[in-house]
Amino acid sequence: MHISDGVLSFSVIVAGWAIALALNAVILWSCKCKHNMAEEIPKISIMTGAFFVASLVHVSIGPTSVHLLLNGLLGVVLGIMAFPAMLVGLTLQSFLFQHGGITTIGINNVMMGVPALLAYATFRFGYRKGINPSLLGALCGSLGIFLSGILLALMLISTGEEFREIAYVVIMAHVPVMFIEGVITGSVVTFLLKVRPELLPLDKGDMR
Amino acid sequence: MEYPEIDEFASMDSPIHHFDPRAKIVSFTLLIFSFVFVNDIRIALLGFLFSLFILLISGLPIGFALKRIRMVFFFLFPLLLIMPLTVEGTELINIAGVSVSMEGLAYASLIIIRALAAVTLAITMLATTRFDMTIKALYALRVPGILVQMLMFTYRYIFVIMDEFSRMWESMECKGFTLKANYHGLSIFGNLLGMLIIKSYDRTNRVYQAMVSKGYTGKPMTLINLRMSTKDYVLSTCMVGIAIFVHAYQLGSLW
Repeated sequence: MHISDGVLSFSVIVAGWAIALALNAVILWSCKCKHNMAEEIPKISIMTGAFFVASLVHVSIGPTSVHLLLNGLLGVVLGIMAFPAMLVGLTLQSFLFQHGGITTIGINNVMMGVPALLAYATFRFGYRKGINPSLLGALCGSLGIFLSGILLALMLISTGEEFREIAYVVIMAHVPVMFIEGVITGSVVTFLLKVRPELLPLDKGDMR
Repeated sequence: MEYPEIDEFASMDSPIHHFDPRAKIVSFTLLIFSFVFVNDIRIALLGFLFSLFILLISGLPIGFALKRIRMVFFFLFPLLLIMPLTVEGTELINIAGVSVSMEGLAYASLIIIRALAAVTLAITMLATTRFDMTIKALYALRVPGILVQMLMFTYRYIFVIMDEFSRMWESMECKGFTLKANYHGLSIFGNLLGMLIIKSYDRTNRVYQAMVSKGYTGKPMTLINLRMSTKDYVLSTCMVGIAIFVHAYQLGSLW
């Protein structure tokens, strides 16, 4: 799910860092204009911590186990701040748990963060259209994983032809995770909507 | 759940422990980036040996480092099984019509060695500095304040949230819950996760109010009293030198 050090080529890594840093700068700058950063920083950080802990959970399927990525859910709950939150989460994950690499933090940020942003956009759009929120949550959860898998495969193939078969294996490995996260995200969204709807980034006008 | 105590052994005594945190971050990061982009397997191996050498100097307990390095190895190990079969090249052996190629084996080993070198350096860098010193050093290195603060808060609250999660998890297990990959298990787990998110969100409000009442404005003042000594300059020059030399040597051997 995360790319380790030493796998990707130099140009892919550089492109990853460039996109990640540029997007982070834009998002943080726009957030600075809209909100009081002193209030946002502790909030986003503690939520990042919660997602970090949740992603340490392993679900066993058959003989193997997968750990959760939760990038779709992160997008749905944190909105555009999911992207910088992902950067922080990945940095800590690679240094504290050695999941993923240090040089690949940028590319992992793009791989996990961009789908999170798209999941957020999908959720808002779908909610306005009046689609059942549980279904929508499930859709966003699997969308996050699906897009990450596709992006990961693209990155591997763009590094070298040698990785073509590995990319297929990686996509296959994402399929079960997609279903698992879909169910989990759907259930979390239903729960939050029942218990604490203000946690979901919906405008007042969106509320029904 | 195990706490991610990376700086457990930060109070030990070794040249790496005494290395100035700012210089340490810069020179180790350069070394990591340099070793990761090596294309020659012999140079990569030398880089890995050099990383192990630094780890030995730092005197960190071998078990502590090995446990973390092993993780990366297991993660990348499948490459060693897949790549020799899929990459085309000189045939090494032929097992029942499936050819094992030399190139695939070499490429997979190169990837694994590079990753191991990087993780060894990263562990040595973080494990020899207290985490708050690392954060201070990041401030001193002019990393954007928002990111450093988020890094610090997230790190702090990981421990708290882990406790909270474990409490909820234990009480669910007491009631006979086991996490299986079926609809029931996952949706119950989703509710647990939802509760964790709500609890964390409520905590953010309390934490924020407590912080504001102690004068938090979003612009923390750090008291940084780091001073570079001659030893620090020598050590970081050596490391940066090695990082550059590795690539210069590789370019030289190409021509």
